[in-house]
Amino acid sequence: MSAPNGVLNGADSVADHPAAGSPSTRGVGAPVRRKEDARLLEGRGRFIGDMRFPGQLEAAFYRSPIAHGRIRAIHIPDHLRGRAFTHADMAGPAGGGVKDILARTGLPGFRVSAQPALAAEKVRFAGEPVVMVLAESRAEAEDLVEEIEVVFEELPANHDILGAVAPGAALIHEDWPENVFLVSQAERNFEASRAMLDAAPVKVTRTVRTARQCMAPLEGKGCIALFERHVEQLTLWTSTQMPHIVRSGLAECLGLEERRIRVVAPDVGGGFGWKGLLQPEEVCCAWAALRLDRPVKWLEDRREHLIAAANCREHHYVMTAWADAQGRILGLDARAHVDAGAYSVYPFSACLEGAQVVSNLPGPYDIPAYRCTALSVCSNKPPIVPYRGVARTGVCTAIEFMVEAVARAAGLDPVEVRLRNLVRPEQMPFRSITGKDFDMGDYPESLRRAREMIGEAAVRARQKASEAKGETARETDARRIGLGYAVYCEQGAHGTSVYHGWGIPMVPGFEQCGARMTPDGTLEIRVGNQSHGQSMETTLAQIACEILGLDPERVNVVHGDTALTPYSTGTWGSRSAVMAGGAVASACEAMAERLKGIGAHLLQAPRDAVRIEAAQVVGPQGSVSFREIAHTFYRAPQNLPADADPGGLDLVAGYRPTVDTGTFSYASHAAVVAVTPATGEVEILDYVIVEDGGVLINPMVVDGQIYGGTAQGIGTALYEEMTYDANGQPLASTFADYLLPGAGEMPPVRIAHMQTPSPNTRFGQKGIGEGGAIAPPAAIGNAINDALAGLGVEVTTCPMTPRRLREALAGAGSAP
Amino acid sequence: MSLVNLTVNGRAISANIEPRQHLGDFLRENLLLTATHLGCEHGVCGACTVLIDGAPARSCIAFPAALEGARITTLEGLADDPVAAELREAFTVEHGLQCGFCTPGMLMMARDIVLRRPGAGEEAIRHELAGNLCRCTGYVGIVRAVESVAARHAGAAPVVTRGTEVAPSAFVSPLTLPVAGTLVSKQAQDAVTPKAAPAASADISFETLHNPVRMTQHFEVPAPLGEVWNVFQQPEKVVACLPGARLTAPTDGRSFEAEMGVKLGPMAATFRGAGTIMADEATLSGIIRGQGVDGRSASRVRAELTYRLAPLQDGSATAVAVEIAYELKGPLAQMSRGTIARDLAGRLTEIFAANLAAALTGVPAASKPAALDGGALFLAMLKGFFLRLFRRG
Amino acid sequence: MKAARFDYHRPADLTAALTGLGAAGGKPLSGGQSLGPMLNLRLARPAALVDVGRLAELRRVEERADGVLYGAAITHAEIEDGAVPDPTGGILPAIASGIAYRAVRNRGTMGGSLAHADPAADWPTTLAALGAIIHLTALTGPRESRVPDLIRGAFDTTLEEGEIISGIFVPRLSPDARWGYRKSCRKVGEFAEAMAAVLIDPPRNIARLVIGATETRHLVLEGRDIEDSAVLDAALAGIGIAADPARARLFRAVVADALSAAQTSHVSA
Repeated sequence: MSAPNGVLNGADSVADHPAAGSPSTRGVGAPVRRKEDARLLEGRGRFIGDMRFPGQLEAAFYRSPIAHGRIRAIHIPDHLRGRAFTHADMAGPAGGGVKDILARTGLPGFRVSAQPALAAEKVRFAGEPVVMVLAESRAEAEDLVEEIEVVFEELPANHDILGAVAPGAALIHEDWPENVFLVSQAERNFEASRAMLDAAPVKVTRTVRTARQCMAPLEGKGCIALFERHVEQLTLWTSTQMPHIVRSGLAECLGLEERRIRVVAPDVGGGFGWKGLLQPEEVCCAWAALRLDRPVKWLEDRREHLIAAANCREHHYVMTAWADAQGRILGLDARAHVDAGAYSVYPFSACLEGAQVVSNLPGPYDIPAYRCTALSVCSNKPPIVPYRGVARTGVCTAIEFMVEAVARAAGLDPVEVRLRNLVRPEQMPFRSITGKDFDMGDYPESLRRAREMIGEAAVRARQKASEAKGETARETDARRIGLGYAVYCEQGAHGTSVYHGWGIPMVPGFEQCGARMTPDGTLEIRVGNQSHGQSMETTLAQIACEILGLDPERVNVVHGDTALTPYSTGTWGSRSAVMAGGAVASACEAMAERLKGIGAHLLQAPRDAVRIEAAQVVGPQGSVSFREIAHTFYRAPQNLPADADPGGLDLVAGYRPTVDTGTFSYASHAAVVAVTPATGEVEILDYVIVEDGGVLINPMVVDGQIYGGTAQGIGTALYEEMTYDANGQPLASTFADYLLPGAGEMPPVRIAHMQTPSPNTRFGQKGIGEGGAIAPPAAIGNAINDALAGLGVEVTTCPMTPRRLREALAGAGSAP
Repeated sequence: MSLVNLTVNGRAISANIEPRQHLGDFLRENLLLTATHLGCEHGVCGACTVLIDGAPARSCIAFPAALEGARITTLEGLADDPVAAELREAFTVEHGLQCGFCTPGMLMMARDIVLRRPGAGEEAIRHELAGNLCRCTGYVGIVRAVESVAARHAGAAPVVTRGTEVAPSAFVSPLTLPVAGTLVSKQAQDAVTPKAAPAASADISFETLHNPVRMTQHFEVPAPLGEVWNVFQQPEKVVACLPGARLTAPTDGRSFEAEMGVKLGPMAATFRGAGTIMADEATLSGIIRGQGVDGRSASRVRAELTYRLAPLQDGSATAVAVEIAYELKGPLAQMSRGTIARDLAGRLTEIFAANLAAALTGVPAASKPAALDGGALFLAMLKGFFLRLFRRG
Repeated sequence: MKAARFDYHRPADLTAALTGLGAAGGKPLSGGQSLGPMLNLRLARPAALVDVGRLAELRRVEERADGVLYGAAITHAEIEDGAVPDPTGGILPAIASGIAYRAVRNRGTMGGSLAHADPAADWPTTLAALGAIIHLTALTGPRESRVPDLIRGAFDTTLEEGEIISGIFVPRLSPDARWGYRKSCRKVGEFAEAMAAVLIDPPRNIARLVIGATETRHLVLEGRDIEDSAVLDAALAGIGIAADPARARLFRAVVADALSAAQTSHVSA
């Protein structure tokens, strides 16, 4: 199926595709098998941990055992001199004056936190690196770390999101008046509506909390830095989502010109946001490699990841909503706290999450009066990093719990309440109350279809039966059934107009792609983002195929290397299919023109009489293959016309969507759960997603992204939580403490697609990478609360663990 | 170093291996077989799964030194295994991988499932795959892939892979075989010089505890108040009542240096540090403060023991009220099963009380303060005393 | 996350192993599935490991009329697969199949699990309920113990220095014995948050309830007590669980489920 910009609305494809690999075409819309699979299935991928260089040293870090304190002394035994390094070594004149990592924003009132690569005077979270030690092996480096002693003056730790901003809280950055990076606010028609709201028949207030999580890609972060003498360049091999951004940040810290640095990401074992930042350990390794002229490697182990990288998702909301008797929401007021951790990370800053809370809280709903204040709170925890879905997972949970509360208070069906408040298709394109430009789509229809797919009537019947049983049988025998929904829209591929206002170190603009036809007529395309599971080696090749008719197997996608690719802000924000995809299309179209120029000459046809088809230039009479054209240009230039384009078959072209405010994919999720009141155990019985990602470049890959995101959302809903004790000690250092959903915890998930093309993108595609992770906590939480409604229990804290449910049930006086 | 003989992917390997090197590292670092991935190094995620004598096992918690004679098969060694080939095809058809990091371990486990449970259905497969984490796919494609291959084998005789042989690859590619012998571990360095005692007292100041765990305990000692009071003024006696604790320097009666070893199962820590004793005879109360560091893990504990004495009845016995407040920080604190620490603390406290009573009455305590085997961990101690937290009294 | 240095010894026989354990810092290694993670995390730092996992004495299995004596190094997978005799009518294989994951069961051993004494593990609770007799061996001679006497708290046993578990004797159940087992885990294969096992074997005059995953010692109730909620509450109070209503609720539910299962499920011995 080639995908024109026409309307495909209503052309559903259910996730259960026929086996990929035998599509009628191999271009846009085909479930092409992944090109990256073969090497990975043979164990021949190349991840950072698989690489080594001669003379390589391995780094281990002495990490702060305390969450907050002043460093009084660091004792390093004499025999470790030259292989144990501190902040003083790096930042001092002898070390070249390495600068702190600075991620400012242009937002008024933002407080700047400088993050030293190694802790300077203070430590601000447990796990913060203090001393770097190098040895021949990681094991030996860990041995040596044990010989280091650091003397601290301990300070009270801010472990709680609200406590950190309470009067008298110890200041984390002592030149600040309070532990707040930024206060974000919005007020739209709220004060003006005050009297009307006060008179509203329905008013509900809720407190919602989401836990601090750890992204936990299966491969930890890792890097190897080495100085390449022959090009006089520092090369940083690193498991990153954004090599070009890392290069800029590293150059700033090390005081090097960017031409002196190359950043390369090999195979990367999952990212989800954790690999979308410049990391202190990267700065340390790069510095040490330059100083020692030895390759320096660091691999984040799981313990380090759980302790020092538990860095996302932690929100706290207090919200009030007003509605009329029909459940039409009249106004929303919220005060939110986002636990942003100790430092502002490069490049996203400490405030992205809080600001997104303010701008996204109304979600897909048309809410006429709105007020929200969000504090980006500084705490003694690892710095917050945007995790798949970013603030929207918390926001969706918050607003969907509120919608459900409104329905309950008004005595209305929650689906009907949603339908009365969702932005309607005839309103599209729609500017939301916070200024988000929803591009296209039928949000209510996705919900109606989800209700149909989940089989609401049958679920309700089953629910009644379970409740009847609960009244008669011992409660331990009775599981209660619940049904819950959630709807969201997901802004992706944000452009300049969205990001310039933040004033953070990175503003996405144009995206480029390099295209090079090789002498044998195959194609290399070079993009500056990075594929680490998103299947771009396949999907971008499909786009090339769409334009040039060249089989994806004959297209190489080169990515993740600053030396080989055009600048890009990288892979984040559900942007690659739109931005890199658009750039690949532009470059291939430009390549087509070059090919047509030579091809027309070889065919002795007028240029405007030839076209591209199936890797050939086709003229009125006959055709010439790309292979022949490429051969001619590179190896038989004598056969070119005199006015041949000297640029040949190697070019860079750029792309930007016609409107750069982002694509808005959306979905409705519906979950059926069974809850055992006696134990708090929850089983997800059924899970349905009706989503609209516009035109799907590879439906198999899209479904894979949704399934994967949903599993992460289920983790948020039920399992994943980094708890801290009152001294800021993280209480999970293994996967036995921090629980990721396994195969046994994943329910059957059914997906249906609506395909409303985006009017603003090259093929009508929308960013969909994050969506799956956004709605599950809301849908599952609503289902749990539906199941327990008869017992007088409503849980609004994620994850909704058995213990939390039992606490609520015990508090509500439920037997036993 | 141990000389170990193994068969890896059909090739005999003899190597001198440090006992502490785990199999995953040995395969990857020494033999350059990097298909085996390390995702957690504590046996949970399954990315490092290999076959040991035919059966799936975690290579991150197996040690080659203990595997003399074992036959190891990595994903490289299944290059032309027919079931592995079916699985690879199914994984790509069903989109069973994204980043690919968990994939080698998944394939290892999937092969075992197909052989051991031919025809296994979705639920059984989900259960069998529970020990292999994937963060990308939501397991949907993985489960479908395994299910499709298992279905093709339905009706076949189950092959229990425990202890079975895996045929080496017929076509031997350089990637299949380990790089033999060229990269055996170098001689381990001599043990590192023992760490000097912590830079100690000079660096120690006794600050208030910020957010301690508090526990109180009351017990009676069959001795007159004066005797009990005297014991509390003598660090050497107090410390002697604490299992695993001892003074490390002579004390002046006001301050002391001590260490305390705590063991819990296989875990052990030794906290070294210093403390002070303050007493107010007027109120028959006092406070003992201490703090210490387990140098190897950099874990640290600070604790205060506040005691209050009261004479009982005819004065032949004394009521002791103790409040323990402690903060444990660092790696030993960073785990979720905190109630275990309290359990340990409770048992330490009981022994402390028994020892104290015994010391005061001259009757040997029922259980002698050997370093509370079994217990150790976290909590610990400090310098001196007891800290231990009791459970609520 | 690499282990600290340790020495490794594989003694040829039990006597040599016991001698080796006497050396300072020696720790027995069996399947290593619990010890391995602790070594890598540097939470366990033995000077030496003494490998007892392949000693013939610990790999033997003796079937008798009144039960089966398993060497301590019999693996979970061997029990799960029925590679060794089972005097419990399927209880042992069923329990084994629920321990962690197959890759762990292939190497982990019953004796190792008991010696590790994790209160949330399956074997201690199961074997306590079945009335297993644990055979212990030291240079000073053998002795026997019941599970509740062996495990006195979380990760804390009455094993002496230099003493190891050599075998586990599991009594044969009567044909009409009944069994109930329930554990509550947040995930398949992970630590239980509460567990209970019930054995009712009237011909042998046994009615026993064992509660595990207490994070301290196991609770054992016998006879009529097993159905007495007041006794249960007192027992939970005795180990501090009653003070935590949400936790006590789970234990009560798990016990009720195990008792309920034991009403109906006959073992097929």
